[in-house]
Amino acid sequence: MPATTIITARKIITMNPGLPEASHVAIRDGRILAVGNAEDMKFWPDAVIDTRFADKVLMPGFVEGHSHIMEGSIWPYSYVGYFDRVSPDGVMVSGLKSIDAVVERLKAVSDAMSDPNAILFAWGFDPIYFNDRRMTRLDLDRVSTTRPVLIIHASFHIINTNSFTLQKVGIDRSTNIDGVPKDADGEPAGELQGPAARIRLFRGLQWNALSDSVSSDSVRRFSRSAVINGATTVTDLHNELTELCLADFRKETSAADFPMRLVPALSRIGATTEQIIERIGKLKTTNSEKLYFGMVKLVVDGSIQGFTGRLRWPGYHNGAENGLWYIAPNELDEIVGKLHAAHVHMHIHTNGDEATELAINAIEAAQIAHYWADHRHTLQHCQMASPAQFKRMKALGICANLFSNHIYYWGDQHYAITMGPERANRLNAAGTAKNLGVPFGLHSDAPVTPLRPLFTAWCAVNRITASGRLLGPDERLSVADALAGITIGPAYTMRMDHLVGSIETGKFADFVVLEQDPFAVDPMTLKDIPIWGTICGGQVFQAPKP
Amino acid sequence: MILNAPEQHADQNNAIPLTVIGGFLGAGKTTFLNHLLRQASCRYAVLVNDFGAVNVDVALIASHDGNTINLNNGCICCTMADGLGEALIRVLSAPVLPEHIVIEASGVGDPWQIAEVAMLEPDLQLAAVIVLADAEQLPAQLADSYIGDTVRRQLRRADLLMLNKIDLVDAARLQTAHETLAGLQPGLRVIETRDAKPPAMLMQFDHATTPERLPLFAPEDTPDHGIQRWLYRRNIRFEREKLERLLDSLPASLLRLKGWCWIEGENAPFLLQMTGSRWSLGATEKSSHPLLTSLLGEDSLLIGLGTARLPEDAVLTALFESAFAKTSLEMPVA
Ligand SMILES: [Zn+2]
Repeated sequence: MPATTIITARKIITMNPGLPEASHVAIRDGRILAVGNAEDMKFWPDAVIDTRFADKVLMPGFVEGHSHIMEGSIWPYSYVGYFDRVSPDGVMVSGLKSIDAVVERLKAVSDAMSDPNAILFAWGFDPIYFNDRRMTRLDLDRVSTTRPVLIIHASFHIINTNSFTLQKVGIDRSTNIDGVPKDADGEPAGELQGPAARIRLFRGLQWNALSDSVSSDSVRRFSRSAVINGATTVTDLHNELTELCLADFRKETSAADFPMRLVPALSRIGATTEQIIERIGKLKTTNSEKLYFGMVKLVVDGSIQGFTGRLRWPGYHNGAENGLWYIAPNELDEIVGKLHAAHVHMHIHTNGDEATELAINAIEAAQIAHYWADHRHTLQHCQMASPAQFKRMKALGICANLFSNHIYYWGDQHYAITMGPERANRLNAAGTAKNLGVPFGLHSDAPVTPLRPLFTAWCAVNRITASGRLLGPDERLSVADALAGITIGPAYTMRMDHLVGSIETGKFADFVVLEQDPFAVDPMTLKDIPIWGTICGGQVFQAPKP
Repeated sequence: MILNAPEQHADQNNAIPLTVIGGFLGAGKTTFLNHLLRQASCRYAVLVNDFGAVNVDVALIASHDGNTINLNNGCICCTMADGLGEALIRVLSAPVLPEHIVIEASGVGDPWQIAEVAMLEPDLQLAAVIVLADAEQLPAQLADSYIGDTVRRQLRRADLLMLNKIDLVDAARLQTAHETLAGLQPGLRVIETRDAKPPAMLMQFDHATTPERLPLFAPEDTPDHGIQRWLYRRNIRFEREKLERLLDSLPASLLRLKGWCWIEGENAPFLLQMTGSRWSLGATEKSSHPLLTSLLGEDSLLIGLGTARLPEDAVLTALFESAFAKTSLEMPVA
């Protein structure tokens, strides 16, 4: 008979309402054999008892329902964001509170680089925190005048450069396009926006930081980030899944010591709907224990803080013109209709409430044309959905994966600039979703914000912005509901709740090992609970000590 | 005829012309591109969002490698599935360079964003932004609360609007479409079409970089969207400011203007290019001067293409003569 191990813990929070709490879990073949108390374990007298976690709290391994492989590929570059951030190797990188601090950090990096011509690339910068004082080429000239210095913003849409770079790629005062803003002297200010400026930059430097984003190293780094943050099932929610990328995914996820289950969503870009249906069908037949295909991602609009999300009346609070469609409304109906009829599980990015409305309409039409009881199509972000929209979602069986981290990171800007007070208060309305019975998850969209499910749950429980404003107190979740939002909730939206997301017999032995009980701490310190590491398929992965 | 000189390697500029095809879903962009690939007047590289709708005769396909279809007529068609930048790099590193690149903007995209690529890449030059619109759907699209702003954004910087599928609307609705456009965007250049057929003369005009390549002698018996030509050649000098003012106020029926103009106080001709309402007037490269001299002597040459509503030759000629320098020699037309 295969070996059985019994793990004992101070407390096991199962997220299974039928048996919410336990102290022992028996494991065999990487799966959960039994959950219960010491008495319940008498049926396996030969089991090995593992007491390493006897003073710790176990929960189902966290499920990150919306993140990206870029969380693994971006970290070799310098982080220069406003907020503290922990790297996949457990190193705390401090946030930078001024442009001078950004310059200072990058100057030190530049001075330490051995190749005098190498490109210095940094990420995570967001001018929204500097009262719109924009970074200029002159700032970055203080970093270096002899090597290209590039900073990609947190939005991943704008790049700041130094004068050396501009000159090298041929952008100067004669450049006259919208994507290259000028300073008062008529010189390029240093920001590059839009496809034209980006193509010129990467062609001019013959280098593209963003094209070689997937590699075995990226997958490994992504998984280290998962371990440190307690996640054992993690999405890569928009991927064209080229053969090259698939080979890396298969190689890494089949390694015995790979610590998480990777769940990519196939992008529809560059393919017809018929091709997507065929591809996802084939990919599903290759699923293995740590690599799952089945989801297809559609992107309907842009982002709210980038003013590219599509809003219903009255639009942006500051009067900015409405955002962008990335799929035309009638095209969305057609694509959703075909995918739904073929029983393809869709994850649909909608930030603004107008995009949400069209996605709901499309699914409603598809559901009328072809009834599918348990489709679990999920609106990703779904940040601005109104109560009326949540009710329609409930009626149609649509799930929501809410971007709770936004409340902390951009809540103040949504209140003052993008949404105004009332609509900012209903941002990522998890309370409404819960009350109406809309199945939901809570996510980070890493690397846009940090992959840290406990922090995401903290946001949904407390709804506190970076400046300390309480945004929509009535939308706050209980700790139990927020924990469901980072475990069984997203697992359901991914059609994986029969495998992960709670501690129940038959599911994978995937756990997060916590130093404290989330129900026992002050909810305001939920995010600070230390994470010892994870267990994935019964295998133990200790996180590096910070 | 002196302009009908054989081709010589004296391009003022080796940059490849790039045309962007925009327009909302269903306006006819793919039909346009299919026409272009089938009846190529030069080696086109056509970049599309996906191959799904591209419908090239199998007999025309020389090879197909996943990202690129090579046609027997020298044209290629590439997908931008891995990004516009990657597709452009593939096209620009091909063993034989295309003579004209045409990029399909997405049905909801702003074609101007792609046009900026041509303005920034040294080996490209912006030929035109052509936007198609469905004559029957357009007024409703513009009024639609979901997509009206997207359609307006697409038109905002179009050099030419092809009002397509006019056979599906009656005269009154066609008139409504024209009026809506005129009200929305005065000065917008509009031509009518039934089946999104590219105006061949216009396309040819847009990839001509020297006078002898201009479509001066296209056979009169092939009506091409009713496009009219206007030709002006005279040994005169323009006054720069007057000319610039004139260029800002030309009638919307003038779709294109290209010319080599002598400006008072300069000792070489300037290249004038006007596409829609967008124009440039710049010094010609020294290396092109011998060819220009052999073709034009010291004459200024202007060639225009316009819609059926283009004013008579005499009216246009008078407009340009109002921009002569006072000292300009009043010589008889050559
Ligand atoms: Zn995302």
